[in-house]
Amino acid sequence: MMAYAGRRLALIAPMLFGMSLLVFGLMRLVPGDPAAIVLGYKATPETVRALRQTFHLDAPLPEQYLRWLGGALRGDFGLDFRQNEPIGEMILARLPVTIELTLLATACAVLIGVPLGLLGGARRGGAADRTSLVVGLVGVSIPDFWLGIMLILLLSLGAGLLPSSGFVPLTEGPLANLGHLALPALTLAASRAAVLGRLGRAAVLDTVHRGYVQVARAKGLRERAVLWRHVLPNAAIPIVTVIGLQVGYMLGGAIVVETIFALPGVGRMMLDAVLERNYPVAQSTVLVIGALFMLVNLATDLLYGVIDPRVRLR
Amino acid sequence: MTRRGGIALAGIGIIAGLVALAVAGPHVLPGSPTAIASDRALRGPTLGEPFGMDDLGRSMLSRVVHAYRVSLDVAVSSVLLALVIGLPLGLLAGYAEGVLDQLIMRPLDVLMAFPAILLAIALMGVFGTGIVLVSAALGIVYTPIIARVVRAAVLAAKAEVYVEGARALGAPVPRLVLRHILPNSTTPVLVQVSVLMAIAILVEAALSFLGVGVKPPTPSLGLMLADGRGFMLQAPWVVVFPGLAIMAAVLGFNMLADGLRDWLDPQVATR
Repeated sequence: MMAYAGRRLALIAPMLFGMSLLVFGLMRLVPGDPAAIVLGYKATPETVRALRQTFHLDAPLPEQYLRWLGGALRGDFGLDFRQNEPIGEMILARLPVTIELTLLATACAVLIGVPLGLLGGARRGGAADRTSLVVGLVGVSIPDFWLGIMLILLLSLGAGLLPSSGFVPLTEGPLANLGHLALPALTLAASRAAVLGRLGRAAVLDTVHRGYVQVARAKGLRERAVLWRHVLPNAAIPIVTVIGLQVGYMLGGAIVVETIFALPGVGRMMLDAVLERNYPVAQSTVLVIGALFMLVNLATDLLYGVIDPRVRLR
Repeated sequence: MTRRGGIALAGIGIIAGLVALAVAGPHVLPGSPTAIASDRALRGPTLGEPFGMDDLGRSMLSRVVHAYRVSLDVAVSSVLLALVIGLPLGLLAGYAEGVLDQLIMRPLDVLMAFPAILLAIALMGVFGTGIVLVSAALGIVYTPIIARVVRAAVLAAKAEVYVEGARALGAPVPRLVLRHILPNSTTPVLVQVSVLMAIAILVEAALSFLGVGVKPPTPSLGLMLADGRGFMLQAPWVVVFPGLAIMAAVLGFNMLADGLRDWLDPQVATR
């Protein structure tokens, strides 16, 4: 296990290096003078020159890259010239929103998707199975931003049950916080619950044909005991690892959901920066979300190695 | 016919219907997708205009049908682009292995290290908006996925006895790859293509919705949802129908992918 973990962890540095190179290179492909674009209407020859100096835009590209990377590794992404705030602190202030949203959505997806899939697989051909098949197929096909809009239309604007936008930090009121995150988390969770449901059903169907299940039946165990003691624990292996992959996926989905529900998270910060052509903020937020995504996937890989020893040998 | 075969056929039916609608619809439908008529603004669904009118009095049905063209255009061209770049890369990486494999796959791993939508937004932010650019951005995002699938299929095929036999008989490399290895990867690639078409339709709509996709006044399902949000309480049809339209298209490709996947793995089909 240690060797496997070591091999996986050794990938972090080269991957982060590659990702930062890609993000940096991408932002340098933007046509025009980035300083003038960032300043927008505030651009005068003096401000442009000052900004070029602070960004070291006149330095050779490799030097610019190393400065940015060196700062990023220390959590210093430079200054946002629109807000006059350190970008690192802005990201840090918004990260908890995105992380809380992702975790809540993961919990919803697991609580809805896993039982649905397991039940469907265990009662193959029955009403539960049919339901899980249809829900799974429709669930993965629903656009999450449309689901969000429909939930706002029906539950917030229509029924007035839950707020449609805004955010209250957990420390200022746990109930209000949950209320503001309920619809966004459900929106983000729906398609992931469908994925988990489809996978759970397939995992159960894959397990019921195994030899040990037949042995359990042959030795006279009751069907209920076979299901709980032999089928479900083994079917759980692929499900647990796919949950990890879904968490990563939700980091991307959070960009859309935060925008619909006007949540002050990193995803929306990134999109706003792209829309405003605020490249220093855009490149830093893209790197942070990308790095988080990579780390979550890496953690999933490690978890997979713990649960299923065969993986380590690959 | 198995039940699963039925799902694949239903998927093909949905896709065929939507393609026919996108191709013939603009010539058959009376309403124009761009003609503004303020006197008919936000009028509800009627027999003649079953999807109602938007805030500028434009026919929603006409706009949805035209937007399908954009969705399908983007989906087909982005997946084609990914195939054109990703297929040869995957073949080469899988066949050569060793250093060349590393040289090809490691940079592609970096592309895959970002969430797809994040990478697409970043690309659009750099290169600007429009149908061609959305297709190009999605094509870049999908290239590593296709390359990975092809590479895995090639690695699997190389271990097969019939490939070894062909090599022992002295078949030249191009013949070995094109006649014996490539056909073996057709089914997994087809499944992936179908899944990617579904995702492309979703992502194009999401990008346009967020303002980094197709440019107005081109009708796009995502743009229609973004515009309609402001009026949805008075006129729910401006957000209901574009969303259902996206879902129908995505559902069609997902059903096709499900059917193809079971065809690939006959063990599943018998269940």
